[in-house]
Amino acid sequence: MVLDNLLQTAVFGLIEGSVIAVGAVGLTLSYGVTRFINFAYGEFLTYGAYLTVFLAAGLFGLSLPLPVAAVVAILVVGVLGVAVSRVFFEPISDRGALPLLITSIGVSFILRNMLQGWVGVEARQLPIPLMRRNDYFGIQLTDLELGVIVVSVVTMLAIHLLLQRTMLGKRMRATSGNRSLAEVAGIDTTEIIRQTWFISAAAGALSGVLYAVLFSPFRPVVGFEYLIVIFAATLLGGIGRPYGAMLGAICIGLAMNFGSTYLSANYTRAYAFLILVGVLLVRPEGIRGGEF
Amino acid sequence: MALLTGWLSFFITVATIGCIYGLLTLGLNVHYGYTGLLNFGHVAFFAAGAYASAIVTMPPPSQVTNASYQLWLNLPMPLGFPVSLAAATLVGGLLAFLIGLTSVRLGTHYLAIATFALAGVFGDVLVNEAWLTNGSFGMNSVPKPGRAMLSADAWQLAYLAFVAAALVGVYLVLTRLMDAPFGRLLKGVRESESAAKALGKDTNVVKLKSFAIGGAIAGLAGGIYAHYLGSVVTAQFVPHVTFTVWAAMLLGGAASNVGAVGGAFLVVAFEESTRFITTAYDWVQSVLPEALSGILPALFGPLPNNPSFVPSMRFVVIGVLFVLVVRYRPEGLFGDPAEIDALGEED
Repeated sequence: MVLDNLLQTAVFGLIEGSVIAVGAVGLTLSYGVTRFINFAYGEFLTYGAYLTVFLAAGLFGLSLPLPVAAVVAILVVGVLGVAVSRVFFEPISDRGALPLLITSIGVSFILRNMLQGWVGVEARQLPIPLMRRNDYFGIQLTDLELGVIVVSVVTMLAIHLLLQRTMLGKRMRATSGNRSLAEVAGIDTTEIIRQTWFISAAAGALSGVLYAVLFSPFRPVVGFEYLIVIFAATLLGGIGRPYGAMLGAICIGLAMNFGSTYLSANYTRAYAFLILVGVLLVRPEGIRGGEF
Repeated sequence: MALLTGWLSFFITVATIGCIYGLLTLGLNVHYGYTGLLNFGHVAFFAAGAYASAIVTMPPPSQVTNASYQLWLNLPMPLGFPVSLAAATLVGGLLAFLIGLTSVRLGTHYLAIATFALAGVFGDVLVNEAWLTNGSFGMNSVPKPGRAMLSADAWQLAYLAFVAAALVGVYLVLTRLMDAPFGRLLKGVRESESAAKALGKDTNVVKLKSFAIGGAIAGLAGGIYAHYLGSVVTAQFVPHVTFTVWAAMLLGGAASNVGAVGGAFLVVAFEESTRFITTAYDWVQSVLPEALSGILPALFGPLPNNPSFVPSMRFVVIGVLFVLVVRYRPEGLFGDPAEIDALGEED
């Protein structure tokens, strides 16, 4: 019984970790090429979740099936990411990290409150029926939770292949490693940064959709509140390092779920953060150093 | 005195809140403007001060409805007032010191996130530890010092005078401090940490002091705020407060105390006046001649009919302020461009 409970908690930790992982990888990819922490990143989660609801529940006069709605929402948010970058960040990209970071706070305020002013603060949820838990070797899971893990693992694999096997991935890594060297080698780094913004924002939106699937209902502040958790995973893995972010996300997911099961459910975010502070005090560069 | 009329009462409110935010901004300015520390958890120090004041002055729980707090001192007013403010200052400084211990030695980005997240965690503590904070019900019987002796209007004016005096006092002390060798040391750390280290300064200790001083000022602001409103509720202490203070500092000009106060007044005046947006909109509609009455709705569309529209737009404007100031006027309205050049350079 004790063991079952332990196992079940671990599995929930992995499920939440897989949601965090998608967001953390997206954030860390954009950090890799832009070199500033994007406080507006949480809004990509929010917009992903809300667009999916609107597309699926007929706000725009169409009610797409949920998976289609999610894909459309993710692509739209990817484009939004590129637009945000071009309007707000590119014009000051030569001014160092601090102005960019402060601008990103402004952008997060603009995006979040435009949404909130438009749709109000009341909670929404995805049109998902309640599901029965199936038993897999003693672990209780719904099909949805299983689906979330699968989507996340596939996304991680796709990002791995993208980085290692495609020309775009290699250019991204080159830009991240040394932008001027990449420029000299004939890489159009501005273009690469835009493409990275698309991938990063789309990953954020996907993470938001997965979050909404698991933890409905949600409000316009959902992304901003979850940002702390995503930051924790990103920093834990060593900022700018996608594989580190995946690992960090799993640790944070486990810490949050073990903490809230065995200590107190009131401090979920605190567990994520305590782990992070503990690790940073010992290893300021995060658990995974090295190049990405 | 007759009841203050609408406009006057509005101005007194704006001025009082403006002074309180002026204090908050001065505190943040010590962190960011003078020392270059990215503190995105300022609201935690403000909240710590407010709760400290509430705890030392709240009446026993038996006299309050919905009370679940178990710690109170019930200090009598007005004599307990200075003690309460001292407690607020101390607790604000202490919390800043503790948060600083874990994070001042982290680099810029890590510090920004650590303070942001620790403030979030502190907010969770305020909501959940009802034995200390009365949870989300809040502490709603914080005494207003001197209220028993004065009429409502006279008290508003007297409290404004007190807050203004506190603001001037802190301003003078800070100006003095920043001109002293300690102030130069802070700026030295801001401009080049390695240079300060090479001169034998322990930069982590300097940062920690800066953090504690700014936190103590924010704590004082919290205490003043608690006694002004007479209630302390968790919903008042959200991350928006931190970023409003940031907006005030950036607008006024980082590393300028005049800028900090000026920016705070501008931002507070703006936020408070947005409550008139819909009134103004309706008024303009009503005075426009018949033939033109279609213009406004055509330009702006019908304003979305939900109660969060105006508050949301207020924060959209704050966001736009961040973006515009950083892009077009990094030194803010009253700042010195030479001071800003050094901010944000790392390594």
